[in-house]
Amino acid sequence: MAQRRSTIYLGVTATLVLLLVGMFLYASNVVRTSRPLFARKTALVRQLQLTDLCLFTEASYTRHVSMTDISTPFQDSPMSLEHFPTGALVEPPFHLVRNHGQRD
Amino acid sequence: MISVRDVSKIFNAGHPNEFTALHRVSLNLPLHETTVLKGPSGSGKTTLLGLIGCMARPTTGRIFVNELEITSLPERFLTEIRRSTFGFIFQQVNLIKGISALENVMIPAYPTGEKHSLLRARAMEKLGMFNLDMRAAARIECLSGGEAQRVAIARALINNPAIIIADEPTAHLDSTLSREFMGIIKELKSEGVTIILASHDPIVYDSDVADRVVEMRDGKVIKGGKRP
Amino acid sequence: MANVIEHHRHIIDFTLSSLLRRKGKNGALLLVYAVIVFILASVLFFSHALRREANLALSESPEIIVQRTMAGRYQTVPIFWSDRIRTINGVISVRPRLWGYQYDSVFQANYTLTVPAEHPPEPGSIDIGSGISRMRGAYPGDIISFAGHDGLPRSFTIRNVIDHESELLTSDLILLSDKDYRDFSGIPADQATDLTLRVRNPREYSTIAEKITRMFPEARPILRTEILRTYDALFGWRSGLIIVIFSAAIFAFAVFAWDKATGLSAEERREIGILKAVGWETSDILLMKFWEGIVLSLTAFLVGTILAYAHVFYTSVALFAPVLKGWSTLYPVFRLTPFIDLGQVATLFFLTVVPYTVTTIIPSWRAATIDPDAVMR
Repeated sequence: MAQRRSTIYLGVTATLVLLLVGMFLYASNVVRTSRPLFARKTALVRQLQLTDLCLFTEASYTRHVSMTDISTPFQDSPMSLEHFPTGALVEPPFHLVRNHGQRD
Repeated sequence: MISVRDVSKIFNAGHPNEFTALHRVSLNLPLHETTVLKGPSGSGKTTLLGLIGCMARPTTGRIFVNELEITSLPERFLTEIRRSTFGFIFQQVNLIKGISALENVMIPAYPTGEKHSLLRARAMEKLGMFNLDMRAAARIECLSGGEAQRVAIARALINNPAIIIADEPTAHLDSTLSREFMGIIKELKSEGVTIILASHDPIVYDSDVADRVVEMRDGKVIKGGKRP
Repeated sequence: MANVIEHHRHIIDFTLSSLLRRKGKNGALLLVYAVIVFILASVLFFSHALRREANLALSESPEIIVQRTMAGRYQTVPIFWSDRIRTINGVISVRPRLWGYQYDSVFQANYTLTVPAEHPPEPGSIDIGSGISRMRGAYPGDIISFAGHDGLPRSFTIRNVIDHESELLTSDLILLSDKDYRDFSGIPADQATDLTLRVRNPREYSTIAEKITRMFPEARPILRTEILRTYDALFGWRSGLIIVIFSAAIFAFAVFAWDKATGLSAEERREIGILKAVGWETSDILLMKFWEGIVLSLTAFLVGTILAYAHVFYTSVALFAPVLKGWSTLYPVFRLTPFIDLGQVATLFFLTVVPYTVTTIIPSWRAATIDPDAVMR
């Protein structure tokens, strides 16, 4: 007869668990060895005086999230209903939310 | 010896639909014999079988199996005894659809945690007894009525029970299959298995296999048993 | 012990046979469940890795940035501000920063032009981000020209392409010299885009910021701590919003799963009766239901999480890319460092495996406690 069903199931599950655990171990190893990479990145940030990730380049307030200001509702708003698609993904900068209260 | 002492079973006690299924029944059934409980439907046969087979508890009275009082045992022990001592054959075959005959036969032994290879070999052996080894992998719904009945018997035998309990086993079988069934019972009897059948089918109670015929009516034993 | 294991394995055998009877339905359930876990895990992995990335990389960004607004709009900052601000106690250095945007109408892309604080390119040459290089097919030695503020084109020789490894920070950058940028953008020599400050003690940030706004009421200081917190919360409520929308789908699934898990059919009830009658205990029935829940939900969790990991860290969230790109034509190609929050994974586990398993077990509790003689009646 073929393998018992429980053997197959437990085997598959054990493989998946090992894969998951292996993945996490591998990931933590990559993180550990990426220290020089981050040293290079921070040096670059220092050299170029960067303030933001270059993730969304479609609008100024998504390109430089932390640099946007509260006056822009009359331009392209960090708090108005979204005009640019990626604007729906990012949160307005922390200090705006704190200093100017909730969106109304 | 299976000893039933002054047993009553009342369903829905205290409700308007209260119903007395058994009324002060006393009965002694020697081991290694075949007993047939005979009587019309509603006479309390099935209830009595259920009580003897540790499936339910009597409202009053006691039941002893080999000097062991089973009526006061907690459920876990009752299940344990039911599993190890009794094999059940029901009116409907009560097999689980969609899975193989072999697995159906093995099911009663699953809770014991017995080694799979041993269990499987024994299940094949039981199926072999009824020439069903070729059908072991077949799903239940692919079996004929007679095959299904024999699988159900093989299932009753998987834990090598000392006592077989069969409730109206021939109710859904034609005469040929019913006789075939009694043939199997005879064989089991010759191996020393205690058999208790409930039936109102003449093929069963008139069969020469029956050592004792106990007649029941309205929850009372009216003939063949030890009267109170 | 061997007995206990064998007992469980028998029950798993039975559960699997039982599940395989409805291959289509259970298969679909498993698939939908795995997809849901996959999407949830992808969002969690991605936003966490990005947050950590931002937090580590931007830990060296300017400590305080001073901007100026007039009539609610950004204005350039007069450079003389820096001399005044430098007099504030605790300020180590003040430096005018020059940067701005440039829209490239040919490629319909936005570039960020910036003048590096250290090692700027020679006048007439520029460094470009690898995103721009890739998009325009431009390499060191090539010449690029842009129209400046006065409409006249200016040509620059590409000196360098910024290393690909920092693409998530520099993809759209064009680095140029102070002189070139002033000429190009028309910012007068006594003005800067904003000012960046180095401060002796991080605890003085807010005091210094306060002093600056008292000195120049139109000044708008931004602290590094605020930048970092912005990125901490980058996918905060908005991605929370996505999860809210997504939760509609989860809810629909929950209803489906609830129905599947709780709706014990008459057939299932009968089977439980048979199992009880042939010698199964109540606990065996519950064990079977437990495994039924585990088989589906644990498999879905494992498959979904593993695929999500591959999706986020190997394909750079390829499936989310259309959403992340929006209308931008310049999108960084990045490989995220696999920062994983095991707490999040554990939460995901408890949110997916436990409820499903519990909803499978609970309703069968009642059926499991029926009298074994029920099938005889």
